[in-house]
Amino acid sequence: MNTQPIRVLLVEDNELNRDMLSRRLTRAGFNVLTAIDGEEALILMRKVRPDVVLLDMNLPIKDGWTTAKEARLDPALQNLPIIALTAHAMESDRLQAIEAGCNDYATKPIDFPDLLQKIEEAVL
Amino acid sequence: MASFNPAVVMLPQGSALDYPHNTLRPQVFRTASTALDRYTGALKQCHDGWVDPVTQLTDTPIVWARTILELAEPLQKVLGTDLSAVDAMTQQDLKALHNALIRLRDISATEPSEHDILNAIGAVRGYAEMLKDDTVGLPDHLLQPITALASATHREMQETAAPFSPIMAADSPGIILAVDDMPENRELVSRLLAKTGHTVITAASGEEALGVLQTRSVDVVLLDLMMPGIGGAEVLRQLKENTDLRATPVIMISGRQDMDQIIACIQAGADDYLLKPFNPVLLQARIAAGIERKRWLDREDQYRQQLERNERFIRATFGRYLSDDIVEQILENPEGLELGGDLKEVTIMMSDIRGFTSISEHLPPQQVVAMLNRYLGRMTDIIFEFGGTIDEFLGDAILAVFGAPKSTGQDADNAVRCALAMRAALTEINHANTQDGLPAVDIAIALNTGTVVAGNIGSERRSKYGFVGHEMNVTSRIEGHAVANEILAAESTVAAVIGQMNLGDKRALQAKGIESALIVYPVEGYQS
Repeated sequence: MNTQPIRVLLVEDNELNRDMLSRRLTRAGFNVLTAIDGEEALILMRKVRPDVVLLDMNLPIKDGWTTAKEARLDPALQNLPIIALTAHAMESDRLQAIEAGCNDYATKPIDFPDLLQKIEEAVL
Repeated sequence: MASFNPAVVMLPQGSALDYPHNTLRPQVFRTASTALDRYTGALKQCHDGWVDPVTQLTDTPIVWARTILELAEPLQKVLGTDLSAVDAMTQQDLKALHNALIRLRDISATEPSEHDILNAIGAVRGYAEMLKDDTVGLPDHLLQPITALASATHREMQETAAPFSPIMAADSPGIILAVDDMPENRELVSRLLAKTGHTVITAASGEEALGVLQTRSVDVVLLDLMMPGIGGAEVLRQLKENTDLRATPVIMISGRQDMDQIIACIQAGADDYLLKPFNPVLLQARIAAGIERKRWLDREDQYRQQLERNERFIRATFGRYLSDDIVEQILENPEGLELGGDLKEVTIMMSDIRGFTSISEHLPPQQVVAMLNRYLGRMTDIIFEFGGTIDEFLGDAILAVFGAPKSTGQDADNAVRCALAMRAALTEINHANTQDGLPAVDIAIALNTGTVVAGNIGSERRSKYGFVGHEMNVTSRIEGHAVANEILAAESTVAAVIGQMNLGDKRALQAKGIESALIVYPVEGYQS
């Protein structure tokens, strides 16, 4: 059995949410890395190779959709599971996230047990 | 209430269904399209009154925030007091909730964007849920209000597309690795530093930090001293042992009681320290100083790389003309080398193979080249051995100089010994030639001592370290008068030689273009 903690890259520009989610994920036993914008996220994806990426869509510098698309164009990141974090009311955001290449999505505010299940599915 | 524009609702389309990621995870797309159906259906039902079709929310986020804050007021009082009844980790979680509520209050007090408020409510909800669901043995007086808080925040929230929040730029934003086993501290540091535009990576242990450092380029490491597993001091030690990481500035973080160890860490190479609980302004200042230091070190590194490139250039430029020893000397002491043009007292040596033109006319070209390369290769080795600089090969002729770019103080002696060694080596070369069916050759060598101009001569596109001057021409004239197997030294060379020479009878040459007669001596032997 693989006992290494699952490495999650959490990409979220809002510090309150980032701190909270990072804390909850850490408490749930994940190894959490955080990034604030899409550029930083892509750098971390390439360098750290997380097991799964939680990607907020509304990010500064480079938004989540562009980030996901760019990740899919990189052969090394093609199969990296990406879960989009989308604003609840924006159905179009979610569809665009899937179209941009995200494997799954979770709506904000995050339903934590649901998110855990999605992470588990994504890294299986 | 945020306005909702139905035009932005994207209806399911064939193209979306065909997308490869959807075929990989069909359940995801099913969920998405079901949600969309629900959404568009609800939209139809409520197009009269303006109620968000999904959330059914009628109050605004600010009203909601106030409701939550009112509800949380008694809880906040408890959270602000002694929490020693619960374990340390739960204390941190409670503090995080406390802080999130304070943030929500602060945000609500200004003129907040809905996005900011909803994010703050989301954070409160997250902490409340975590405490409610994941904490074992939370006392009732905390559990009850927190459960109430969680459900008050657990209403479907609506959110508009977020405006891009601008990041305040620090003067020089950097990548900071914050290493601390306490999540609360990592959060605090992340929050403080992210605010000023730094990129913060966190690591929860020394092991993790060392792992991150392997893969990421970090400007400053904030390193907690006391951690389970690999402690801060050990991380520091390993970092300083690693040539790639040694230059990364490290700021140690610890409690006041660990001052002795902090001092030990600074002696071991830590750049700075901060005592807990640290002052945020001090943290920013020390990080800024650390980044500045890293930038300097990076520039220094670039400068060093530039020097290395220059060194490679010098090696490549001079390696063909100078022996390795001399290249090394120049590199070690570059200020002693004037390449721009310098008057130098040197001994010039010119040699050629007698009758080479007629030999080459009787041989196939490949054999000429083979013979010449054998000869020139051996001669080059000998010239380098005696510290000579080869100015030029002119067919079978070699023009070499002793005393430039560096004088050894016995350049004339070296030139004489070199000439004798070259002549002696011919026996061996001719033996090899004979075995290969090539003709044996004889050489003549001239030596002359005087002042020449040495420097990088040529055009910008093509230049080389070379020599010009009257004495170069004189050497060539002397060489014209030397017979086979003769070494003719000008009297200037004979005068410059320190050691003892066996000389033949002196001759006076009347060379073309040179007014006074040249006095030369055949050189037969040398003793130092």
